[in-house]
Amino acid sequence: MIVLDALLQGILMGLLFALVALGLTIIFGMMDIVNFAHGEFLMIGMYTAYWTSLLLHIDPLITLPASAIVGMVLGLASYYWLVKYLLRGPMIAQLFGTFGLMLFLRYLAQFLFGIDYRIVQKGLLVGKSLTVGPFIFDWTKLSAAILSLIAFLLVYLLLHRTKLGKALRATALNREAANYMGIKTERMNALAWMIGGGTVGIAGGLIVNFWYVYPTVGLLFVMIAFASVAMGGFGSIKGAFFAGILIGMIEMLFPVFGHVIGSDFLGPHFKFTLVYFAYFVIVVFRPQGLFGWKH
Amino acid sequence: METLRDAFDFRDFSKPEKVGFVIFTLFLLVFPWLGAGSFVKAVVIQFLLFSLFGMGWNTIGGYGGQVELGKAQYVGIGAYTVALAMVWWKIPFWVSMPIGVLIALGYSFIIGYPLFRLKGHYFAIATICTSLVLQDIFINWKLVGAAKGIELPIHEHPDFLYMQFKSDTYYFYFIMALFYVAIFYMNWFRKSKLGYQLRMIKEDEEAAESLGIDARWCKIKAYSIASAFVAVGGGFLAVYNLYIDPYSVMDLDLSIKIALMAMLGGAGSMWGPIIGSAFLVPLDRFLGSWLGAHKGLIGVDFMIYSALIMIVSAYQPRGIWGIIEQFRKR
Amino acid sequence: MKMNKTFFIFASGLILFFLMVCSPLYAAEKEIKIGVLYPLSGAAATIGRDLQKAAEWTAEELVNNKKPDIDLLMTKWGGIPNLGGAKIKLIFADHRGEPDRGADLAKRLIEDDKVVGLMGAYHSSVTKTVSAVAERYQVPMINDSSTSPDLTRRGFKWFWRCTPHDEFFTKDLFELLKGLSEGKVKGVKTIPKDQLKNLAYACENTEWGSSVGKVIETYAKEYGFNVVKGILYDSKSPDLTSEARALIAAKPDCMLFASYLSDSILMIRTLKGMKASPNFFWGQNAGFEMADFPKTLGADINGVLTRTVFIAKIAKVKRIAGQINELYKKKYGDDVTGATGRSIVGVQTWAYVLNRAGSTDKKAIQKACNDINIPGYELVMPWDGVKFDATGQNILGKGLIGQYQWKEGKNELEIIYPFDLATANMIYPFPGWK
Repeated sequence: MIVLDALLQGILMGLLFALVALGLTIIFGMMDIVNFAHGEFLMIGMYTAYWTSLLLHIDPLITLPASAIVGMVLGLASYYWLVKYLLRGPMIAQLFGTFGLMLFLRYLAQFLFGIDYRIVQKGLLVGKSLTVGPFIFDWTKLSAAILSLIAFLLVYLLLHRTKLGKALRATALNREAANYMGIKTERMNALAWMIGGGTVGIAGGLIVNFWYVYPTVGLLFVMIAFASVAMGGFGSIKGAFFAGILIGMIEMLFPVFGHVIGSDFLGPHFKFTLVYFAYFVIVVFRPQGLFGWKH
Repeated sequence: METLRDAFDFRDFSKPEKVGFVIFTLFLLVFPWLGAGSFVKAVVIQFLLFSLFGMGWNTIGGYGGQVELGKAQYVGIGAYTVALAMVWWKIPFWVSMPIGVLIALGYSFIIGYPLFRLKGHYFAIATICTSLVLQDIFINWKLVGAAKGIELPIHEHPDFLYMQFKSDTYYFYFIMALFYVAIFYMNWFRKSKLGYQLRMIKEDEEAAESLGIDARWCKIKAYSIASAFVAVGGGFLAVYNLYIDPYSVMDLDLSIKIALMAMLGGAGSMWGPIIGSAFLVPLDRFLGSWLGAHKGLIGVDFMIYSALIMIVSAYQPRGIWGIIEQFRKR
Repeated sequence: MKMNKTFFIFASGLILFFLMVCSPLYAAEKEIKIGVLYPLSGAAATIGRDLQKAAEWTAEELVNNKKPDIDLLMTKWGGIPNLGGAKIKLIFADHRGEPDRGADLAKRLIEDDKVVGLMGAYHSSVTKTVSAVAERYQVPMINDSSTSPDLTRRGFKWFWRCTPHDEFFTKDLFELLKGLSEGKVKGVKTIPKDQLKNLAYACENTEWGSSVGKVIETYAKEYGFNVVKGILYDSKSPDLTSEARALIAAKPDCMLFASYLSDSILMIRTLKGMKASPNFFWGQNAGFEMADFPKTLGADINGVLTRTVFIAKIAKVKRIAGQINELYKKKYGDDVTGATGRSIVGVQTWAYVLNRAGSTDKKAIQKACNDINIPGYELVMPWDGVKFDATGQNILGKGLIGQYQWKEGKNELEIIYPFDLATANMIYPFPGWK
């Protein structure tokens, strides 16, 4: 029973991790860039939700569009003002360029909002839980998981059912060929950053319902997002989805495992260690990740 | 013999480079007697230490072109070996530091072997992950002090064997000596067979392999060299700070800082890591200590710092050294 | 060619540039400089800035200027009397919670700013490196608020600590538990010990939390309690479901925590979500004591206990604490808290030590520190005073245990322990979630 409970909780948490990772993998799929500032996008999405709900006195759930819009604008701005130039350089310059962006956003937030920990105090879902038989679910996490599913479905439909999605995928597969076909690749890049920023903004708006927001909060989630994107295969949306769930399950099941065999050493303090270790093992045996198709 | 000659042979550098190097050396030699305050001295020691780290990183990250973001684990290995040997068995620094380097070498081979199956971003994230795993283990490992870290005993009198001095001047000369050993080594390395092979791999791995170069093995070797460098610095860190914990010597921030300084100065060039750390270490320390004590300016120092990083990496991917060379070519 | 050279000298002489800009500061005479290291930026900046305010305020208002309407000896001084009325000047440095940065700054304070002594550094890990520097340079350091027991066990000759450490505090907890089983607690009938016997703790896994966990286990054995589950967790983890599940599965009577702010709130919320129902909730200060904790959780924490060193309610039983708190509140709008109160005591102790030493000579200060005995009525804290033992630990310090009680839509922190200072009836057992 405790195992089943942990499994379900893990899937919920995993869906959330997957939502954070979604934007990262879209951006990577388009232009082979790992966006170090992704966690900071999340943080800004969280702040947006926090401030709009506080200042307009509305429920944090209704602020999701605001977070999404701010995330999109942020993605566009960073593409046109920074990433466009970074694309000329080698991988390492790209990494550090986005790393600089990460530091900049983080400390800009610190400068503007201070280092205080802020949390949404009231809300439709805050602190409420749903009891189904022996299982208890947080409403916040449950709704976040459902929205994450919807977001994945929408992105999937966008990529596979629309003309725009076709253009996006064509650019991702072969930039030059797409260019000859009359696809404006630059615009496609910008679009990828917009979608990436938007999804992570939504994730931020959801997370703020149960977790604190402070300037360095992004780091927590972004390491897990990195691991899930890399585990699933860079650029693969399916990969990010399943890797996110896998990570959520590892994170929940491992402490239960330690509890069942009665070991104090294998306690919850190693739960993320195991996630990193699992990533390492998986990519060593499958160097392109679980669902990867890129080098 | 030939190796030594190569190491001290700076003939292929341009004249301004040579002049600058000599001036810089002379400056460092007399630096402790210029009457600088101890904070400035500490900053210069940090600068030399990070140059050492950066030069080590440069072998694999710069010449080899592999984005390595897990160097902090080797800082930790070096620091913990020295600290534990001293606390448990009272082994002098001069014995424990080489042992630490050997452990780092061994560990880097074990980890490097599977690691270099990976390429590009997979490799970069995997190096971060290995470092985080080791950090987590040290945080929870009671035997090595867990999260509490280790305090080294303070000797009442200066003790050369255990590298305990009251004045920073001695530490300064020691790290300076290491720094120059590293410079001479790097000067040899860039001209060595491995150095050429690595640059070839960086250019085009498939072409290099078709010429009979075992790319994976070359990378592992360079990775181990880098790890050894960093472990030496870690050992120094332990005796210099007299306290280490997993958060200060094995943190992801440290890994990134090391790579960042080398990259910002100019990865794959001789002077890049030194310039990078000459830029970022003082910026970090001085700006931090000035602005930190003022209200309302929290984070401004980091904003300047990060804006610089963004501008340099967007404007010239070869870093500050690349910008300097660009100017010289004009 | 000339251009090239200029460029090169520019690159290699960068350090020289920074050297020139960083010229040491020379202050006016008749000032005694004390270096204070706090985390003024970074993750702990909120608390660091509060500490800075409190220290600065104490130096200005209580020591340097006369304030006849406060019943303290030192407010009649207007400077240090035995040093010809010299003023105390605090020089602040920001260590950001990084041990090596703290060490560098300590060197700067000692060598460049020529401070007489050091104070700080809040984080136990930073205090470790800073005190090691102080020891090496033989400069006295008085620590105000680091609670790791190890700090005073290193045989240092230049390090003293005013605050009680975690062992004192944890011992207080067990005294309270014992008191409950003996019927000593105000407003609670004697509780049979087997209703309290099983303890479970969850501590964050840095140096502080893990040492608290260890101390809990030692004292549990000594007092005859039973630790059924001990968990160390990562305070930065965004999800504590598995930790909470493990705690509940052990079915403890008492749940004990050592948590920072974000994880303490997440932990309580997760436990509430899982409908945990122990008899007794106790937190080791830090997160449980911060203003945001009751603000965020509201009525949910009715009945939760926290250890602390200062509660504004102390004014009811100690007049001077009320006076100081009122003055402080008038200036900054906040009550004095456990952290800022200790910072106040730190500066007070420095003033007394300097007065006793009668000079700024290091040896004289060392001797003064070893001999000092500040009576309790001179301090804002409900302590018996400040008197250091051979290891440098203040043996007259005392902890408090407070309980959040939900009254008329507001959380009030009432004193429960020590029993003679109790300000309200204890709520026992934990009344359950609202």
